[in-house]
Amino acid sequence: MSGTNEIRRVQRKLNKTFGNAVTAVREGDTIRVSGSLPTWEDILKACNMAVSKDKRRVHVVNDITLEGAEPIPMRVPSVRDDALDGKHVDVLVIGGGISGTSIARELAKWDLDILLVEKEADFALQASGRNDGEVHPGIDLGKGSLKQKYVLEGNHMYDRVCADLNVPFRRIGQYACFTQGYLRPAVTLLALWRKYHDGVTDVKIVGKEQLLRDNPTMNPDFAFAMYNSSAGIVSPYNLTIAYAENAAQNGVELSLNTAVLSMDTDGGAITAVHTNRGTVYPAVVVNAAGVFADDVAGMAHDRFYSIHPRRGTDTIQDVKSAKIISTIASIIEVNKQALTSHTKGGGLMQTAHGNVLAGPDAVECREKEDFSTRPESIRTIYQKQQKTVPAAAPRDIITYFTGVRAPTFEEDFVIEWGRNCKNLYHVGGIQSPGLTSAPAFALDVAKDVAERIGQTRPVSKNERFDPHRKGIPELCKMAPEERARYIAENPDYGVIICRCEEVSKGEILDALNSPCCPPTIDAVKKRVRPGMGRCQGGFCSPLVAQIIAEHEGIPMTEVRKSSEEAVLFYGPTKGGGPHD
Amino acid sequence: MTDNRNCDVLVIGGGPAGLAASIAAHDAGADVLLIEREQRLGGILKQCIHDGFGLVRFKEKLSGPEYAERFIDEFEKRGITALLQTFVTDVKKTADGFETVVVDREGVHTIAAKAMVLATGCRERTAKQVSIHGTRPAGVFTAGTAQNFINLCGQMPTKKCVILGSGDIGLIMARRLTLEGAEVLGVYEVKPTPSGLARNIQQCLRDFDIPLYLSHTVTRVFGEDRLTGVEIAKVDENMRPIEGTEQYLDCDALILSVGLIPENEISETLGIEIDAATRGPRCNKDQETSVPGVFSCGNSLQVFDLVDYVSDSGELAGTNAAEYAKGTYDPSDKPRVPVPLEEPAGDMAPNQMVCITCPKGCLLTVDREDDGSITVTGNRCPRGELFAINELTAPKRTICSTVRTAFPETPVLPVRVSTDIPKEKIFDVMNEINKVCVTMKVSRGDILIRDVLGTGADVIATSDLLQPDA
Repeated sequence: MSGTNEIRRVQRKLNKTFGNAVTAVREGDTIRVSGSLPTWEDILKACNMAVSKDKRRVHVVNDITLEGAEPIPMRVPSVRDDALDGKHVDVLVIGGGISGTSIARELAKWDLDILLVEKEADFALQASGRNDGEVHPGIDLGKGSLKQKYVLEGNHMYDRVCADLNVPFRRIGQYACFTQGYLRPAVTLLALWRKYHDGVTDVKIVGKEQLLRDNPTMNPDFAFAMYNSSAGIVSPYNLTIAYAENAAQNGVELSLNTAVLSMDTDGGAITAVHTNRGTVYPAVVVNAAGVFADDVAGMAHDRFYSIHPRRGTDTIQDVKSAKIISTIASIIEVNKQALTSHTKGGGLMQTAHGNVLAGPDAVECREKEDFSTRPESIRTIYQKQQKTVPAAAPRDIITYFTGVRAPTFEEDFVIEWGRNCKNLYHVGGIQSPGLTSAPAFALDVAKDVAERIGQTRPVSKNERFDPHRKGIPELCKMAPEERARYIAENPDYGVIICRCEEVSKGEILDALNSPCCPPTIDAVKKRVRPGMGRCQGGFCSPLVAQIIAEHEGIPMTEVRKSSEEAVLFYGPTKGGGPHD
Repeated sequence: MTDNRNCDVLVIGGGPAGLAASIAAHDAGADVLLIEREQRLGGILKQCIHDGFGLVRFKEKLSGPEYAERFIDEFEKRGITALLQTFVTDVKKTADGFETVVVDREGVHTIAAKAMVLATGCRERTAKQVSIHGTRPAGVFTAGTAQNFINLCGQMPTKKCVILGSGDIGLIMARRLTLEGAEVLGVYEVKPTPSGLARNIQQCLRDFDIPLYLSHTVTRVFGEDRLTGVEIAKVDENMRPIEGTEQYLDCDALILSVGLIPENEISETLGIEIDAATRGPRCNKDQETSVPGVFSCGNSLQVFDLVDYVSDSGELAGTNAAEYAKGTYDPSDKPRVPVPLEEPAGDMAPNQMVCITCPKGCLLTVDREDDGSITVTGNRCPRGELFAINELTAPKRTICSTVRTAFPETPVLPVRVSTDIPKEKIFDVMNEINKVCVTMKVSRGDILIRDVLGTGADVIATSDLLQPDA
């Protein structure tokens, strides 16, 4: 079908549903949908109608305005200085999530000046720190998409990457479980197709008996399951931070609290990038801006795809409930309600740290940074996951959080050079399985970017590149003899600050001394876990705040939870003493 | 692994329960060792600078540090060994007792004991455990954490807050924050009755005109970095929010006093049976758990409302653990019955008041007769009548607070007035207290302000915190 015929058909469908409120226009390889509609759901419906069959090349751009609503601006850090002003770099990476940090680390293998900017107060504060941490086997994807290509490549790379970066990774396998025995032949056929056609070589079908023998806590009504042994689990924020640290170790400059505000372009190329910390002059820009990738594209007049945010909430249960699941599992419900429902209840798994995670659900939302949680998400998740493992119980929840996915309307990754901007490389539409895929696409992106710069000047390999990151020792996981050796070296390893997660003062100081740790409660928590346990920092937060103050040589009042605005204290009581 | 130790009775936890257990076990002839994960003994009492402790045991209104330090004095007088800043990582049953692995600044040690007392206290229920939704800003604190920030760190965690839950710590914090100049918009309780003691409703809320909203809860938190507000809603009889009753309140903190949970992770390591109702170990009358030789006490056994009962339970556990270690223990076959909690405060008529003299919190009915005389009913002791008459003629209150110090490692020192002062002078006296900065290493009981504002009361230090060996 030609593009012209396709767009005519789309317009007819739009007219039928929305009258003449919406217009779809084909402009090169984009389908621009414009007009105005009364609800966000309508806008999504209209854009989804316009999606082309040629999803790899043709993208929907959403220009429909929501009636009576103002655009929601990106949150920008309050800091304003000229820390980066006038800086010339070979590569500017926008975004400190898993995509940006992994690309920066791979780019560091070449002799390049690299700057990574992240608008948040730490790495992995948006989608990369707010997901379930599954390393996917790629069983739900058929050949042809970028997702499918990179999920398989990325999955295979995980053992090596996590060993190099010293991040715990376990292949704990994934079960897709079915109660309807009559579906077994059809699911078996699908599994065979995935195995021999799509390259998902680890898939197998497991019968009821074996399923329940290996997983006695699972729903006894399960008839069979599709099993992938390559599925694994990693802490997504620990991996992102590890990539950032290794990048920094190898010469990449990292700048937190730095938002890209606008760009200057000339002759189809970016000439300057304006941030809240000054103007940067990069030869190449990598757009790994997550939910804001389309906005960044727009700054370079290269907005050929649109992101529509989709919230997902996960719950974390006390480590005590780890006995209910040692793998990744979910019931697959094949019925009318499940097939027509837009929300889903995710899965149930043991996390890298031995907690139980349930979720995520999936809810379309207009706001790109709506990280709030809602009680109905928890209900949806547990309604479903109690059918996977009946002992999964909301009463064991210690925390929950929401992340926002960054899908395009084509629901695939956009990993390519700009179409109207020569020196912009897009890494957009990165959603699940983005975490799994990142190690693989980071290699390709880095290679493409290095080659491009190589066209203007010789680019050699970085001879000093060290792929190994030294992690922070985890004392509570050590045998007593080893632990005693560490404490003999540094007595602070023997002072327990967080009783729930058994974290020592030595480990907290190690975090504060690590390559790119902001001196905040949350940053320390992400790196070495004080406050991650069942008391959620109730006991240890005063102690951690004191350690930070002492380490930084600042009054306790100045210690923050995360960003500069996330104040914990309004000053010392009674106006303070002589030392305040 | 470095040096190993032996003892008859190993007590885990150096709060009021563990201290009482150690003293009792020592007095019963056992060789006792106490393990405390913090730098100082006293447990949570270190930060409970308010008064009301010890009325049952000492017939005195002591502050938390004073109560704890009396026991610490007794403990030290006996020469019992406490291993401070020492953390239990593992416990297991052996042929002749128990083997406990601990870590401290010196390394990893093993302690062999014939009997054990678990006095590990409790923790606070958190925001997510009571299903609070919305964003995750700074400014959501449990009451105990806020109390630590103010009373130990000397830091103000809020200027204007909402308190969810009418547990005693929440009520105490409402008063404490008010005294330190913060605005408490109200205490919201999901249940139709308050959870805390009646006397605390009186002296912490009514005295300061802080409203208490029953059958209300916080449904949502707002603010991206720091909390900017909360949504309040009325709840139905099943404690579910009623749609349409939501109300937004502008504030900078949400303080939670929504329940305490006994900490029994060590008990679970030993395979001790846990009672579903109390969430503490299932015990016999002697407070022996389902694992012979392991005794439980204090708030890890059952969340008590008075520390005096915590000490009692510690003594019982300590004595029996000593007997067990000596081989003279005769286990009771009767199950332990939990100590009942005080009745919650009910509604009050205009002529009623709650006596705050002791934790019983009697509901007094006070009537003025035609001849001008006052009759008081509802009091369970003569002090009630005296209290009621004073309330009508010249009401008096105590003040517990802190003063700043010149010592950075101890920024604030707990203090109180030596005797009650006129109620209307509370904020004036607070003003005087706030001017003090301690520059010398004073002791518990030392006078910091003599005859404050001519009230006849002195402001005295209530802790030996500044003493070199404290």
